[in-house]
Amino acid sequence: MKTGRPPVLLVLALTLLAALLLATALGSVPLPLRGVLQALAQRSGLGGVVSGPGLDAAGEAILFSVRLPRVMLAALVGGGLAVVGATLQAVFRNPMADAGLLGVGSGAALGAVLAVHLGLSTSVFFALPLYAFLGALAAVLAVYVIAGGAGRASLQGLLLTGLAVSALLNAGTSMLLVATEEFRVKTVLFWLAGGLEGRGFTHVQAAAAFVLLGVGLLVALGRPLDVLSLGEDEAASLGLPVRSTRFALLGLAALVGGACTAAAGSVPFVGLMAPHALRPLVGSLGRRLLPASFLGGAILVVLADLGARTLSGRFELPLGSVTAFVGAPYFLLALRANEGRG
Amino acid sequence: MTAGAAAAATAPLLSARGLAVARGGRRVLEDANLEVHPGEALAVVGPNAAGKSTLVRALAGLLAPAAGTVELARRDLALWPKHEQARVLALVASEDEGPDALTVADRVRLGRYPHRGPFRSFTAGDDEAVARALEQTGIPHLASRRLATLSAGERQLAALARGLAQEPQVLLLDEPAAHLDVGHQLQLFRALDGVRQCGVAVLAVVHDLSRAAAWASRMVLVAEGRIALSGPPAEVLGSEAAAQAFGVRIRGHRVEGVPHLLYVFEEGP
Repeated sequence: MKTGRPPVLLVLALTLLAALLLATALGSVPLPLRGVLQALAQRSGLGGVVSGPGLDAAGEAILFSVRLPRVMLAALVGGGLAVVGATLQAVFRNPMADAGLLGVGSGAALGAVLAVHLGLSTSVFFALPLYAFLGALAAVLAVYVIAGGAGRASLQGLLLTGLAVSALLNAGTSMLLVATEEFRVKTVLFWLAGGLEGRGFTHVQAAAAFVLLGVGLLVALGRPLDVLSLGEDEAASLGLPVRSTRFALLGLAALVGGACTAAAGSVPFVGLMAPHALRPLVGSLGRRLLPASFLGGAILVVLADLGARTLSGRFELPLGSVTAFVGAPYFLLALRANEGRG
Repeated sequence: MTAGAAAAATAPLLSARGLAVARGGRRVLEDANLEVHPGEALAVVGPNAAGKSTLVRALAGLLAPAAGTVELARRDLALWPKHEQARVLALVASEDEGPDALTVADRVRLGRYPHRGPFRSFTAGDDEAVARALEQTGIPHLASRRLATLSAGERQLAALARGLAQEPQVLLLDEPAAHLDVGHQLQLFRALDGVRQCGVAVLAVVHDLSRAAAWASRMVLVAEGRIALSGPPAEVLGSEAAAQAFGVRIRGHRVEGVPHLLYVFEEGP
């Protein structure tokens, strides 16, 4: 029963590595794989490990200032969103749960629109993700406080409050968009559609700080998460401080989800697909499912972003649309399979 | 048995005194007094909505008393640190709500949480407790199955195994046999008898009165938020109080030493 599990993580890690390399080499300007490997080895102080001709100066510039940060950010965002999904699904004991439940998406959207409306950001650079991040956290905090605070918030109360607050924030976003000058609206719309165009190493560093820390802590809290997933009464009878554990887990999920959404806009279905596909392989224990989900989500978004960049010859597809085009049919098929079984 | 152990056998492990529970401003349990001793099998019976589940949840510390006290090993339950309490007292609910992809072995192993906490690794001792619990409930063959693939009865036995893996001194069960067919029911009560004989105090809400009468050493009748009667099963079930609570008169007889009950609707006074 334990055999066959570690290889899943290993296979996922190797697949992610392959996907990262592939996505780094392919693009509007394809780079030779060997050249990419050599440049990477050179940069990380392993020069000479990979022989053969390197990249030319233009190739290196593309690799290090465009391709690599973007691919790394895709992995972080995908991994983070998948871990957030898996965490919330355990906390809410519902395989449909994702960051949207807590108001992360709508809070981030309002923050982003506010940044653009105020003229703080005419491109996707720093004010927009920062405001989106703060918006996401403020929304989650509002949901929590309105639902009754750390001491009393019930599961049902959180769910319904999340829905109501999200609807309210979306209304605010629409109103603000109408009142925003037209040339700025496009910036927000691009961000809302989800994408990683033009992101650099600064974005990677900012996202990595929150995503890696948050994911690490969530994995560490895997066992309390498992206990919580047994239901409130059973968790409490096992001595788990239910409300404070839930508060910690939701707070970390909000932090990671907010950072991912701030970096990439809306990238739907990743948080649903990756855990759903991996649960049959690794089970539902947090210490296994969360790391596997991180790798699976990373693979998914790295490949989705590769598709977004390369599928159309003339323009970039929005990343969020690509994951939705893959995720929605997957989801419907999974639903159908589930109903067929039950 | 030493004198000390004999004395311990007479002291209640769990007791409630004047226990009252309020929900939404309404008292749903009033002035409940009861004691559970080591090795005792106490059945809680009563009609629907009488307050049986409320009583069990209050005894487990999940509901705070509006009045009165619950004492576990002679110490107010409110004073027990929760993880310490969970090493002494286990609760098994009527419905298993574990996630579908969880395996039975992992589900039962979570019963070791009170002993290991959030971060310490499970030990060989924990694995032994898990194996024992699976053995006692008769489901070692299900260990690697996922909960989604089990029947309701098997899930319930897995939930019980989790409670046994906690290695508690007091085991509380809220309608543990609610979804079980007769074979699984027998298996469940046999498992309860097994732990009871090891000195665990077992208190179970039981719906099936025949089963309760056959299994319990003592019975508590809960009606309209109060403990109406407590005593030997035959006495409680044959009482006027039971007839009033259930709206039927209960007549018992024995077949090959096992109590069988007949329910008769009362006709007039």
